Amino acid sequence: MTYFISGGAKNGKSTLAQALAVALGGKRFYVATMISTGEEDDDRIRRHIADRDGMGFETVECFKNIMSVADPDGTFLVDNVTSLIQNALFPVEKNYEMDLEAADRCADGLIQFAGTVRHAVFVSDYIYSDAERYSESTEMYRKCLADIDRRLAKVCDTVIEVSAGQLTIHKGDLCI
Amino acid sequence: MILIIGGAYQGKLDYAKDTFGITDEDVFICDAGKIDFSKRCIYKIEEFAYGHPDPLGYFQAHREEWQNSILILRDVFCGVVPMGAENRAWRQNTGRLAQYLSKEAAQVSRIFCGLEQRLK
Repeated sequence: MTYFISGGAKNGKSTLAQALAVALGGKRFYVATMISTGEEDDDRIRRHIADRDGMGFETVECFKNIMSVADPDGTFLVDNVTSLIQNALFPVEKNYEMDLEAADRCADGLIQFAGTVRHAVFVSDYIYSDAERYSESTEMYRKCLADIDRRLAKVCDTVIEVSAGQLTIHKGDLCI
Repeated sequence: MILIIGGAYQGKLDYAKDTFGITDEDVFICDAGKIDFSKRCIYKIEEFAYGHPDPLGYFQAHREEWQNSILILRDVFCGVVPMGAENRAWRQNTGRLAQYLSKEAAQVSRIFCGLEQRLK
């Protein structure tokens, strides 16, 4: 089974994703995708680790190429797609200079990953319904993320939008 | 009239093409204040609203012209209230226009990550 989950910030996406990954069973991996940029991120990461405590996840770090952690027998929670695309599109090692090809490779890797592992739950962020006129690079970031969201939504069995903890199932079934 | 709404880059135009068999020739892409109802599909209505003082009034005045159209409008209503007056007006005008069009429409579809959610 593959799930794609999106929605606004702090609406319960990660909580749902963790519950789904636990229910799917098998050997569970949590793919940690965020590169910490300081104290605030460290705090967030600590909070997420505490949330997952006792759920039986093995944490694997992956900042770009998700296929590097693929295991055909594993159940993977990828939280989140946004960080992976961000890491690829604005590489820290190149002083955040935009790299569209790397973002494409990252997207292709995610699709390949979805077809390789036993179960996967992908979490993304819905950042498309505001009235801001963004800079060109921010628009490119939104577009890259939206493109991969759409590709993942196409290949995943189930697509869920989370709003204030409530679910809208856009495709497939919850199956748990 | 069919109204298609959704956030940026969600696949609204692709949905219209796949579902209603329209091609690029059938599509008018709006620009600041500019619109043309002679095409079957009117895309980026939010951009028309961005450069027009009264987009709702304009649509009401030209009601006969878009009765059989496919109208595509990006929802720009869900973020923080913009700091700039121009963007604030844009957000409000686009929201009001969307409500009016949604009431008038025979079908309203919201596109989320390429998938259709039927609202009406």
